[in-house]
Amino acid sequence: MKQVWPLVFLCLIVGCATEKDKPKYLRWVGDIEADAEIDGDAFQLCYSEARVKQYFNFSQGLQYEGEKSAIDEVFRQNYQAVELPQSGWIRIRFIVNCKGESGRFRLTTSNTEYQAQDFDPKITGQLLSITQSLEGWKPLPDTEDPRDYYQYLTFKIENGTLKEILP
Amino acid sequence: MRLFILLLLLGSTVFLSAQPNCEAYKYFGDELKYKACKAAEKRAGYYQFSRRYQEALDEAIAIDSTFAFAYRAKSTAYLKSGDFLEWKYLMDKAVKFDPTAQLDYRGWCRYQFFRDYQGAIDDIELLDSLVAYDIGHSVNGDYHLHIARALCYKALGEKERAIEIIEGQVQDSTYFVGIYDFLHLGVLYLETEQYEEAMVAFARQEKENDLAELHYYRALVHKATGAPEAYQEELRIAKHLYLEDRKMFDPYVEQMDKVYLSTIEKALAAER
Repeated sequence: MKQVWPLVFLCLIVGCATEKDKPKYLRWVGDIEADAEIDGDAFQLCYSEARVKQYFNFSQGLQYEGEKSAIDEVFRQNYQAVELPQSGWIRIRFIVNCKGESGRFRLTTSNTEYQAQDFDPKITGQLLSITQSLEGWKPLPDTEDPRDYYQYLTFKIENGTLKEILP
Repeated sequence: MRLFILLLLLGSTVFLSAQPNCEAYKYFGDELKYKACKAAEKRAGYYQFSRRYQEALDEAIAIDSTFAFAYRAKSTAYLKSGDFLEWKYLMDKAVKFDPTAQLDYRGWCRYQFFRDYQGAIDDIELLDSLVAYDIGHSVNGDYHLHIARALCYKALGEKERAIEIIEGQVQDSTYFVGIYDFLHLGVLYLETEQYEEAMVAFARQEKENDLAELHYYRALVHKATGAPEAYQEELRIAKHLYLEDRKMFDPYVEQMDKVYLSTIEKALAAER
């Protein structure tokens, strides 16, 4: 039973991205609504939903302790290739709050033809777990006036192997 | 006079790439596209991620479902949020209805945001086959599309082909050199052990746009050719420029051949 819970949690996250009954547009494209069932109550925004920015709104690019190479290294050390004929892209989108904490993780997945495709949970579960463990997100735009912002990581997968991490 | 008006309308359309000139559609008798274009203008003043911006474009598409510009304008927010599903759906529509005007954007974005190397090559080469004019630059202006195409070939392992494409581009007397062209060319020479050519390319890059990256890669040439003092000196310059923010930068993505501070510092530390 203990091993089933991560899969249930993962299904909730992926499923949430494909709900049919949600309104066509939220405030902004890519906005993630809070869902206590998925997110718990540990993660909190510093400001209101209406003030969450995008990471690139500050014109500083991706901001992480040790830069993007540090993120690459974490995944290089922790992601175990899964021998399955599954290729495409997996995006994990989330919010970084003004304290550098991350939450509201959601997945979007496609094959190499940009068509929706589910990946084996052994692939998505690892990527989600490692992404949630990242602790180096920097406050943007700076520590004097930090805001909440949306960030994402896209993983390019070839036959279960992690080839590149974007953006 | 008619020719003058025609040139004026077309010219303003080309230069105002953010929004087509609606009057041009009217002039050419395309009333439906004119109405769609006017509906799309309602997004003015709204952020491209916002509901109002998207709804204005939905209205335009409802008026004329073949209005390529509206699909492209809608797609940008999805692109920047990393939503490859919706972005590609919208850009496929845009390309379907106006391939020569939209293939450049779709091709470039496939490289820039998704590292879809073969997809980018296919789009850029298809565009090149369809038009008789220069296919132009990436939407951010940093790369000519042939340079981007070369980088895609490099990523797919075809380094000699990449070199050939970049050499051909920079040797064109009518071409304005891009801000990273000679850096990428120099790195390709370095990776194929053509060290003299790499140094020439890096010297040209230094003249065009001095960057931490070029000094890091120049250091690697010195290391490969047995010049340890020059190697360390170039690493020190690379670190200095990096800390001055004179490095490759794109607000949305990390570029190919970008070097990080930790990489430079590790190389410096290893020499101590």
